[in-house]
Formats: sequence, structure tokens, C-alpha cells
Amino acid sequence: MPGELSRAAAIVGAAEANEIGYPKTPKTALQLHMEAIKNVSNQTGIPISRINGVFGAGWSSQIAEHLGLHPDYIDTTAVGGCSFEMHVHHALAAIHAGIIDVALVTHGENGYSQRATGGRGTGRARGGDPWDPGSLYSNPYGVTGAPSNYSHALTRHMHRYGTTPEDFAEIAVVTRQWATLNPRAVMHSKETHPEGGPITVETVQKSRIISWPLTLLHVCLVTDYGGAILITSPEIAKSLPTKPVWIAGAGENMSHSNMLEMGDFTATSAAASAATAYRMAGMGPEDMEMAMIYDSFTVTAGITAEMLGLAPKGEGFTLWKSGKAAPGGSFPINTNGGGLSFNHSGMYGMQLLVEAYRQLSGTAEDGVNGIAGKQTKARSCVVNGTGGSLSTTGTLVLVAD
Amino acid sequence: MPPPADHHVKGETVAYNKPIPEPDPLGKPFWDGAKAGKLMLPRCVDCSRVHWYPRHICPSCHSDNIEWVEGSGEGYIHTFAVQHRAMGGWAEEAPFVTAYIDLVEGDRMFTVLRGVDPKNPESIKIGAKVRVEFEAATDDVSIAFWRVAE
Ligand SMILES: [Zn+2]
Repeated sequence: MPGELSRAAAIVGAAEANEIGYPKTPKTALQLHMEAIKNVSNQTGIPISRINGVFGAGWSSQIAEHLGLHPDYIDTTAVGGCSFEMHVHHALAAIHAGIIDVALVTHGENGYSQRATGGRGTGRARGGDPWDPGSLYSNPYGVTGAPSNYSHALTRHMHRYGTTPEDFAEIAVVTRQWATLNPRAVMHSKETHPEGGPITVETVQKSRIISWPLTLLHVCLVTDYGGAILITSPEIAKSLPTKPVWIAGAGENMSHSNMLEMGDFTATSAAASAATAYRMAGMGPEDMEMAMIYDSFTVTAGITAEMLGLAPKGEGFTLWKSGKAAPGGSFPINTNGGGLSFNHSGMYGMQLLVEAYRQLSGTAEDGVNGIAGKQTKARSCVVNGTGGSLSTTGTLVLVAD
Repeated sequence: MPPPADHHVKGETVAYNKPIPEPDPLGKPFWDGAKAGKLMLPRCVDCSRVHWYPRHICPSCHSDNIEWVEGSGEGYIHTFAVQHRAMGGWAEEAPFVTAYIDLVEGDRMFTVLRGVDPKNPESIKIGAKVRVEFEAATDDVSIAFWRVAE
């Protein structure tokens, strides 16, 4: 039986910034936020002034101030790319509690443009703390960013389950197939990127080695992105021109913050956050018809599929290798082209939400964000964000109206 | 052209040119031990568990009664990766092997692994025995590295 919070709120619209990916002129994070917010307001017909809850992973008071809002609920949960799935969880609870009835979850991040803009206009605090455990006990050993950390998980998975880098390369290959159906994907085609268009396992394995066993094409893109969704009470959701997508279940959890504390390198807290979400929904993995899974790396997606109960442990990659996850397959995964081939700004959780909304509202093939073959028939979708170094997770069970 | 300030030559030896941690008060016994060539580890007096990294309270039983003990300096490779891309002084050493080490006393440390061939990752064995060693980065800070035991 579904929990009390199940379907207590719906996502009623999802939109992106006007230009994402690799913009010709540099964008600031704030601009990417504002374009997406303006677009989702136009899409739903909900005036920005009607928003009474603001959720972001930067500094939500800055976003609210820029909009001239004085919201009743302000949430800056920022624990990596899964923050946005957690925001949906928190918004669901706040709406159910009657504190707010229109929640904005927003994301703006200029992973690409910041090469030109530096630390300016990002809307969030920066700078390392020299007494942080990572600064003291990890960084002296030459690790630089996520790829150099995540590779350790793949090595352990290979050791424990006898998997190979080629197995995980299948995830990159299938995800690229989806990107060819999304004109906004950075790797859509040779027109969007010199290396765009279809790839093979051999292409993935022969790409530049980054952090063994990960080569470049096992690793997500670094792009610009702005995205925003609006979540409302059921009463408001039913009055709008856009289709509601119901939040049937939500859960969050964490394994660690620093990878030093990762107990099992072949598992994440998605097992726990998904258990909570499935329980709330009164549904299980067998009831899911598609998935949006954070793919910062091929290994992230493969392991997460196992954690979500979509495949036995050690066999997550088979969903892709068998073609089930591919366009036309029986269980579509990452239909936007993923963080691997669509867009990854640094924190990718919003991209998951926007695509899940599009799929379940039947708008995934609008000619701009998708061409023939991208819209699936799925009526339910499990969405899982992963943040940090396989650290934190937020899981949602979303269902069509 | 003069060499960069952090890469000056003292006689025959080149100064340590990689990131040097700024020791904190919480981990002082570890940093003092490292300087003396000893692996000092925090251990909970109440539940006897060793934990890494240093804590204000025990992450297992939440006691605030923490003591420092000298570890055996031995451990095993839990998992590893070969870094082909790095910043600063480490860039000159790439490819190099990073690893998580299961300490004999319990819990886990991160390190750059020595005595392995980064060009042949298949030859590196998870579970292989490793031993700690220390390198003086400055007169005050020594850094722990682990080497595969012969
Ligand atoms: Zn204890």
C-alpha cells in the first residue's frame, strides 16, 4: 500500500535554459537558472510570483532575491548531483505538510563557460578547506576530481564480479544511441561535435586513458546547463494546461562524504534510497517501465542499476549490453543521451528530472529535445541521482497521469 | 630562467613539489608520528576500534574517549586505479597508481602505491600485502606512502 506522501504533489512542468551544452558566448550560472525558470513559468502558466518554495543546490536565497521572491520555504541542500532529487523529496514533504503549494527546483551551472568566466557569477561558495579530511588525507596523493576517484570503484567491481571495462563500455555505446535522437545533446551528431554520432565498444576502449580502468568515453561531459521544474499540490496540478507527473515515491540516503569512508566500492546508498522510494510508492523495480540513472561514469550507471533492483548484483551492465536499455528496447534508460553524451554541467540531477518529466508527459519527442524514436511508452520511471564520490543518493518513483 | 619557488634545488635533492597538507590540531599525533617514521592511528578506548580519518568522537560507538596507538604499518590493497592525468608535481609522475589500503588494525587509508608498474595494471593484485613508509615533504610535514611488500 502506498505511503501517506505518495502522490501528494506532482511535477507540472520542466524546462531548460535557451542555450545549453557549449554556448558560443560564455553564460553565468545565474543566467542559466533564470532562463530555465522563465521558460518553466511560461510553459505551465504559473507566474513566478506564485512560487512559494525555492529549492536549489547553490545558494537559494540568491536565486529567490534575483526573482524578487520572499518564499515560505528555502532549501539549499547541496550534496552533489543528487541534490535535485532530494529537493523533490523535500518539496513533496513541504507541500504535503501544507507549508507551500508551488515549489521551484532550479539548477544553473556553467561547467563549460566557467573556463571563460572563472569563479564569477556561479552563485555558490567556492574554495577548499585545508583541514577538510579530503584536503589532508586524499588530495596530497594526486587525485584530481571525480574520474580519478570513481575508477577505484570499477577496479573493485571487476575484481569482485569478474566484469570488464568492455562490459561497462556498452553503457556508453547505448547512451550515445539515445543522444543521436536528441538534437540538444552535445554528442548528437558530427554537426554538434566532431566526435559526435554513434560509437562502438572499440571507440570507447581506444579513447584516451584518463584514470585506468576509465577511458575518456567512460566519463561524462563538462557542459553548461540550466533547468527548472515546478512542483505543486494536486489541486493546482489538475488546473494547469500541462500534464502532471506524479511523485509516487521519494527517498534519500548516503554512504559517505569522502571516498575514504566508502565501505563497499561496488555498492551505493541507492539501495537504501530506492527502498524508501519504492515503499512510499507501493511499487517495486518490477513495476518500473524505464529509468533515468545518473551516469557521471559508465560505472556509476552500472552499479546504480544493481542498487535499484533492476538487475542482479554484478550484472547491471547487461541491461545495456542486451539492448534492453537502448532505443526501441524493453527497458529504456537515460533517454536524453545521459551525462555521457547529452549534457553534464557538474551536477546532473536536474537533467534527469527534466527528461523523466518529458517522457512521462509524452513531450520527449517535440522536435527540439527529441526526434522520432525518442518518446517511449513508459508510464513509470525510477530516477536516481548520485552525488559526490558515489557518496549520496536521491531516488524518485515518478508515474504518468 | 629560475626554477619555481616550490621546486628549488637544495644541493643534489629536489624539494618535494607535490601538494603538502597543512596539519590540523585533530590529527597532530598522526603528523608527529609521521615525522618520526611511525604510523600513529586513532583508537576508541571504549570499543577498541581503530578509525581513519581522525575524529572528535568515535564513528562506531560515539565515545569521545579516543587514544592514539602505533600501528603495525601493514595493510592490504583494497582497490586501486592508475592516474594518467594529474595536476602540479604529480603530473610529472603520471602514470602513477593510487590505492585504498585496508589497515591490519582496521579501516582504510588512501595513498600513492609504490613498488608497482603503472603501465601494467593487470600485474597489481587486490589483496596484496603493503607496508607504510614516510617521505619528508618539509622539515615539519612527512607524508605516508605504501609499498607492495616483497
Ligand atoms: Zn568506539
